[in-house]
Amino acid sequence: MHQEVDVAVIGAGPAGLAAAIKAKQAGAERVLIFERAENLGGLLDQCIHNGFGLLYFGEDLTGPEYRDRFIQKAMDLKVEAELQSMVLDLQADHTMKVASSRKGYLTLRPKAIVLAMGCRERTRYAINIHGSRPSGIYTAGQAQRFVNIHGLLPGKRIVILGSGDIGMIMARRLTLEGASVEAVVEVLPYVGGLIRNEVQCVHDFDIPLFLKHTVSQVHGFPRIEAVTIAEADEGCNPVPGTERRIECDTLLLSVGLIPENELSLKAGVELDPIVGGPIVDEARQTSVPGIFAGGNVVHVHDLVDNVTWESEIAGAGAAAFASGAKPPGRKIEMKPGRNIRYVVPHTISGDSDVTLYMRVKEPERNVRIRVGDVVTSKVKLAVKPSSMEKMEIAAGELGKLKDGASEIVVECLTKEAK
Amino acid sequence: MGSKGTVICVGCPMGCEITLTIDDNGEVSKITGNSCKEGKTYAVDEYKNPLRVLTATVLTEDSCQPLLPVRTDRPILRSKLTEAMPVLAKVRAKPELKAGDILIHNLLGTGSNVVATSSLPC
Amino acid sequence: MSTHQTDVLIIGGGILGAAAARELSKYKVDTTLVEKEVDWGWGSTKANIGLVCQGGDGLEFRPEYHRSKLVWDSIPMMEPLCQELEVPFKRVGMIGVYMNEDQRSKFSKMQSRAEKVGISSHQWIDRDTLFDMEPHVSRDALGALYDPVPAVTDPIKLNIALAENAVQNGVHGLLGREIVDISPGVGGFEAKTNDGPIKARFVVNAAGLYVDKVARMVNADNFVVYPVKGYVGVLDKRMGDLVRHNVWRVPPIPGEMNVIEPTVDGNIIFGITLMQARRGDFSTKGEMAEAALEHVQGIVPELSAKDVIKYFAGFMMMKTFELGWHDCVVEPSPIVPGFINVTMGYPGISACPATGKEIVQMLADQGLDLVQKTDFNPRRRDITDFSELPDEEKSELIAREPRYGHVVCRCETVTEMEVVDAIRRGATTIDGVKHRTRAGTGRCQSGFCRSRVISILARELGISEQEVTMAGGKSQEMLYRSKQLLEGGN
Repeated sequence: MHQEVDVAVIGAGPAGLAAAIKAKQAGAERVLIFERAENLGGLLDQCIHNGFGLLYFGEDLTGPEYRDRFIQKAMDLKVEAELQSMVLDLQADHTMKVASSRKGYLTLRPKAIVLAMGCRERTRYAINIHGSRPSGIYTAGQAQRFVNIHGLLPGKRIVILGSGDIGMIMARRLTLEGASVEAVVEVLPYVGGLIRNEVQCVHDFDIPLFLKHTVSQVHGFPRIEAVTIAEADEGCNPVPGTERRIECDTLLLSVGLIPENELSLKAGVELDPIVGGPIVDEARQTSVPGIFAGGNVVHVHDLVDNVTWESEIAGAGAAAFASGAKPPGRKIEMKPGRNIRYVVPHTISGDSDVTLYMRVKEPERNVRIRVGDVVTSKVKLAVKPSSMEKMEIAAGELGKLKDGASEIVVECLTKEAK
Repeated sequence: MGSKGTVICVGCPMGCEITLTIDDNGEVSKITGNSCKEGKTYAVDEYKNPLRVLTATVLTEDSCQPLLPVRTDRPILRSKLTEAMPVLAKVRAKPELKAGDILIHNLLGTGSNVVATSSLPC
Repeated sequence: MSTHQTDVLIIGGGILGAAAARELSKYKVDTTLVEKEVDWGWGSTKANIGLVCQGGDGLEFRPEYHRSKLVWDSIPMMEPLCQELEVPFKRVGMIGVYMNEDQRSKFSKMQSRAEKVGISSHQWIDRDTLFDMEPHVSRDALGALYDPVPAVTDPIKLNIALAENAVQNGVHGLLGREIVDISPGVGGFEAKTNDGPIKARFVVNAAGLYVDKVARMVNADNFVVYPVKGYVGVLDKRMGDLVRHNVWRVPPIPGEMNVIEPTVDGNIIFGITLMQARRGDFSTKGEMAEAALEHVQGIVPELSAKDVIKYFAGFMMMKTFELGWHDCVVEPSPIVPGFINVTMGYPGISACPATGKEIVQMLADQGLDLVQKTDFNPRRRDITDFSELPDEEKSELIAREPRYGHVVCRCETVTEMEVVDAIRRGATTIDGVKHRTRAGTGRCQSGFCRSRVISILARELGISEQEVTMAGGKSQEMLYRSKQLLEGGN
């Protein structure tokens, strides 16, 4: 058994680093991060592009630059970290088993735990792409690692399926490295990621963008030689007769991220079936006392700044728990209403300032996001599912709630609906 | 008579397609399609002077860390991005370097330097 | 290029060729096993559901079929063989559910035929017992015929293990060696390959997908086989409790299989829609996938596309297109002495132990002297599976070898040392590592581990990462180096 760990953090990406730092700042004595990869920083290592920290630091940083601010802070605060150390098991009583190259096989029972495992990428099998199974098909994040860490390019004629940010970022990256991106194919009628990326990664380089299209088949073996794309119907299925063949030597998939919650399930943490991550209260505590969660493992974020802020909450919560503080008494449920897909945190106490994170189901213009009948609201020119919305609510506004209110509905209303 | 240019505004999820009419003196005479005033300002800047931060990697002489991520310390003209890449391709970064160290001074005469965004070795 | 001389040349390193090689390695016979791919079993063997059965679901217990005998003789041999070779083996049993009286009477006839040939392990189970044994089976089921004997194994691990044990015992295992032509030579045959000639007194043609092409090289093709492709889906381990046995039914569309079973690794595997296809075209079609899903949902309604983590297609070389109505070809060629043709169609895995022995017997009948070795070693050790070890052993292992503490496949908990072991045992490709360690077979389908396995392959084989392939030949993963596509780059 290890010497008592106050807060153990699983993952040293932006979420884990932020949680660990905050836990220390909040008074936890021994804070230990377990990271299964070979360095600290998680995916920030391979995100060499800029756009990080615009909100948190007010600066336009690249992934590595953003990462290093937190690594430095963590070192200054004497946060401990074990690399090449993977948590293999986690139980509700906090018993944790870790395989570590340096430290051997560890069993420990930290006082509090922060889940910061991030997410994984959806595969071609999850979206039913048939045809051959050759080399040359990668998820965009996987390809990003090869290009930006290993110094390898998957090919020189690339088709990218999915116009999420990671797909578009790779479109630009590979074009700059001398490859030809033949097409970005998107099943929705609009681009999945930020408009900034649509402009600066796709249009800047005149890359053909096929909206409302999907890849219906892969050709070639043992290396991919082409894809067939086709218009997509309402069910995202290829429309017969609209097929078009695009010759390529690489297919990149940017078709969705799934929070990685295998450990959460082992510990008996209750997951939100819509989001795929733990149900959390405003301190980011899960349904298992003393197990907290922050970042993409809870819900997939667009901006790393929000990952940091959310994980700080989780870290502070974990430190408080480790020191024996009592959790908030009241639990007011945040219910997603009209055109709101989900709200995190899932419950609030009603006693403190809180920031709500949410996503809409459908894109809409000229809307008002309303939190409860009496709490607060915000007008937005445009909302879309791929842009996370934030609502900051002061404790005072929550005071307007009736005593004993057990739920607040969060809804997205159009002008007509008023 | 004038020519027209379009700019997609990146300020918010609206993504307004803003059309600028340019008169014979090269001045913007009319702007349509924006939903807010910030969009107008952005559109003019973007049309006249589209600037981009270039982020990329350079090769190193460290076998354990084959690449070093870099950036331009100021945004440069969009038209220079592709031209810049073969210049970066010639760089061989030698340890020891830290984030912020300059690898190329005044890239393509833009006034912007190419700096490391991480240290070598990591 | 010098000529390689051997007593017996076995063409094809799939499960039957490897089984024959391992049997022959018990005797003082110079045996050469050649495989045209860079690793064992990359034809039909790697792409099936790993079922070890004795009948049912396409096998109709017809004693007039040679293949039936080979399967029945193999059944008692399989578990001891898997133990000797340290290959996973799980006796899951087989439950044939019936949904109407017509299906029940089919099973009844099948059971009587089974009993006539001495197989009496079938038991009728009623609805309540069925739902007790398999809570997720459709309530349309009226009952089932249960056979506790069938099992599942890992077919490619078994193939690799047979080949390794054969080589351990003196067989020349030649990977990446393709037979281009064969001509009769003095005292046997002379085969032209892609890397020098091989002279042999006897030839065992177990070339799987190409069995008829190889037979044609010496005009020994007195049989015709048709490539039949089958679609198979694999579910996330999260759904591992969906069924505990192999569960099957008479399909609504004749000429396909409706089957769902647990794998030895804890996944669920299901299928199998069939279609005639060009040999070697392992691509899948959306229609095959949809049909498989829909039809197997008839057995287990909770089967859902959202739980599918992988699908693939496999091949069987069948004498006729209709399942159940064909026999194998395991015989010395009536035309060309010393040339033995081997093609099972289905089920190759289940029949491999007895087929291996029968091939040896056929060779003896053809004039091969069989003198037993005194030093044959039947035991072959597998690569340690870190994920299955109890805590104390995990601890000990990491303390001894830190690379066991570095997990490179996060979904399947495969460590760096296991990957290194796989490479030292002969894996030279990503697929080779995958088949020996499970790295890349989990829910993220190598999203995390691929780059790490490439690094380890490059390091262990002393090649650049750019040279690493998925499956040999032209299946390189990363086609270019950074800057290679830019002027001024290297």
